[in-house]
Amino acid sequence: MKNIALGQYYPAKSPLHRLDPRIKVLLALIYICAAAFCKNIIGFGVLLVSALLIVALGRIPFKTIFRSLTPVLFVMLFAVFFQVFFTKGDMLLFAWWKLQIYGEGLYLALFTIVRIFTLIIGTSMFLTYTTTPIELTYAIEDLLSPLKKLKVPVHDFAMMMTLALRFIPTLVEEADKIMTAQKARGADFSTGSLVQRAKALKPVLIPLIVSAMRHAVELAVAMECRCYHGDGTRMVVRKCRFSDIAALIVMIIFLAGIIYLNILGLVYTA
Amino acid sequence: MSEISVENVSFFHGKGTPYEIKALDGVTLNIVPNTITGIIGHTGSGKSTLVELFNGILKPAEGRVLLDGADIWAKPKEIRNVRFRVGLVMQYPESQLFEETIRQDIAFGPRNMGLSEQEIEERVIEAAGFVGLGKDMLDKSPFDLSGGQKRRAAIAGIIAMRPDVLILDEPAAGLDPAGREAIFSNIMEYRKNSGSTVVIVSHSMEDMARYCDRVMVMSEGKLIMNGTRDEVFSKPERLAEAGLDIPQITKLMLLLRERGIEVDTGVYTSERAYEELIRLFKKDTAQSR
Amino acid sequence: MDLPFIKVENISYSYKGDGGVGVPVIKELSLEIREGEFVAVLGHNGSGKSTLAKLLNMIFSPQSGKIYIDGKDITAPDMTDDDVFALRKTVGMVFQNPDNQLVATIVEDDVAFGPENLSVPSEEIRKRVDEALRAVGMTKYAHHEPHRLSGGQKQRVAIAGIIAMLPKCIIFDESTAMLDPIGRREVMQTIKMLNEKMGITVIMITHYMDEAAMAGRIVVLDEGRIALDGKPSEVFEREELLRSMGLDVPQCAAIIHRLREAGVALKGDCTTPEKCAELIGRALGGEGRDV
Repeated sequence: MKNIALGQYYPAKSPLHRLDPRIKVLLALIYICAAAFCKNIIGFGVLLVSALLIVALGRIPFKTIFRSLTPVLFVMLFAVFFQVFFTKGDMLLFAWWKLQIYGEGLYLALFTIVRIFTLIIGTSMFLTYTTTPIELTYAIEDLLSPLKKLKVPVHDFAMMMTLALRFIPTLVEEADKIMTAQKARGADFSTGSLVQRAKALKPVLIPLIVSAMRHAVELAVAMECRCYHGDGTRMVVRKCRFSDIAALIVMIIFLAGIIYLNILGLVYTA
Repeated sequence: MSEISVENVSFFHGKGTPYEIKALDGVTLNIVPNTITGIIGHTGSGKSTLVELFNGILKPAEGRVLLDGADIWAKPKEIRNVRFRVGLVMQYPESQLFEETIRQDIAFGPRNMGLSEQEIEERVIEAAGFVGLGKDMLDKSPFDLSGGQKRRAAIAGIIAMRPDVLILDEPAAGLDPAGREAIFSNIMEYRKNSGSTVVIVSHSMEDMARYCDRVMVMSEGKLIMNGTRDEVFSKPERLAEAGLDIPQITKLMLLLRERGIEVDTGVYTSERAYEELIRLFKKDTAQSR
Repeated sequence: MDLPFIKVENISYSYKGDGGVGVPVIKELSLEIREGEFVAVLGHNGSGKSTLAKLLNMIFSPQSGKIYIDGKDITAPDMTDDDVFALRKTVGMVFQNPDNQLVATIVEDDVAFGPENLSVPSEEIRKRVDEALRAVGMTKYAHHEPHRLSGGQKQRVAIAGIIAMLPKCIIFDESTAMLDPIGRREVMQTIKMLNEKMGITVIMITHYMDEAAMAGRIVVLDEGRIALDGKPSEVFEREELLRSMGLDVPQCAAIIHRLREAGVALKGDCTTPEKCAELIGRALGGEGRDV
């Protein structure tokens, strides 16, 4: 239990890992836009190729990627099912009783798969796999820093995220210990109906909440003692390098290209 | 009287992950009934894992854990009965308190055993008495107690199950000298009155030397010493080899031996050390006359 | 005015108990600590020792009395936020539970937390973090996650986080209570190093007698007042009094006391096994006997 992976950061040395996390947040956003705007058949081909290219650049094994895709497989199949069977168009391919499958439906299903696939690749490759949670926190804080002028406590939000990340393993470990202690008193977490099992969690949840509160109070005092006041400097000051800027420009051109393809035509919409 | 024995047991933490650690490595031992057995070793020596195997919280990867000669994992569905017979008080047990009153909290174990309300009430009062919590305390919220009282209420929660074997993992951790003294005198009193077997896991050599009849020493997942307290503490060199602190008194005796003074280095209690030294001083004055 | 580094003058503090009734914890306490001292504070639970520590760091404020630290009256009503930060930079604090003082997910980020809050320039923070980690012997772990460290290592990281603020004094509030013997040894060695090599004033609250024996001076609190104050050898002479306050003496010291009572002439400091062995050895005519 102690060894749970936070996020799904995959430690490796790759061009993607080296990029400035702030740039990666922007890249992910632009890439998502590209996937969302694309309506062109060639565009979808380009998206698919780009997604594979990004995976290769991040040096993440395909096995790991596919494992992270399994949870959304159901959503994909569901979307495919609806689009295959409920899209009506001109190209009737197959008809039996009330079921009619049109060519347009197949196209749309295919596009949906590509779109969901690229969305997931885009976010996971730029954010979770190649960026540590703490880098991500700092990146979001930096990108949101203009809001500081509007008196939005951006630094405090970032601190909260960091603390959450810091304390998840500690609390998981504690939950484990409390569960063991209650098992030693005969608590049963693994048999009985769903309601019974939910009830059986009370002896774990209450001590866990009490403990989390105590952590919070003591932590607040310790942070005060270290002069926390919601602002300060940063030890590591990231500077955008040439490669970061280059990546951003390439991505903007990519988005422009996808939109341009839409204008060209060959558009399939329902 | 129930007897726990462990045959050639091995256990891994995080099996199958990159963080796999062999916590126990072919351990064979038995806990002599009606004694107080101390288990000592560093963090990570496997001592806490060992006691969690005793009551079936953990299942050995290899080997068997026996209670009165019967494999406790013969019927995995009935493992709870083993936990009622082998009571385990975990480290910092006060973190398990959750009920609205002390009474209800102590009753949690007996209630899980399916006892009658009358029997539960009887056991709660008895267990609270053992740890020195009066009847007036029973209706208080566990969260209103002092640290030492919480600890004792949590121990009562295990005692109320009337286990044949009571295991305590670092029962005095984090308490001040008076609190330590109080907890240990409660445990001693409980043992005397109930006649049950007690196992104490501790880092403190002084506590082991004071309270335990038998001592087991764990190091890197292996049992490296096992015997009566005299047998174990008469070999302070071996304890030091395992990187453990030796009792302060033993240390003093070893230092005196180094200075060429003929003392018994197997001495580990204040009382014996005093006798040993006063004997030497009397001899010394007799000689110099 | 020539003030000692810390001067506590007649302070009282009570917290609000049930129904808003004040429960006195510190009663008209006065204390002086010079720069560079290593003071252990002993007392049973509820004697007020942790409260005293929190008063010195302005987590609590006394209801009456004055506290001067480093020439400044920290009980003055005109203390600004900046004054408070300046005080906490001067007097750092390390707590009991190592988990509750580490705020970052990477060791070196945690050490940087204090200096970052003090708006120290980035390059300077880098330098201080590296030096602080080196001082506590944790350089190797700079990029580790705190939750994978041992208790003793976590406490050393917490200490590094305080050192990086360049304090003159560090208060340890039962910082070894939750550690195993190895962790305790690591932390005690670090504390000694801070005091001896870096000249940091150390105030160490503990209930381990053998740890207190390592200090230069022991202050014993009982019921919110100072009951004893002196060198370890002097304080541990008062075995009866200490026991009556729910405290202990190191086992070796207790044996020497009994031998003395039995009429054996043993003179000198008996706070550690080493010192006791020397006393007994000298008296019994092993090596180094006074002839």
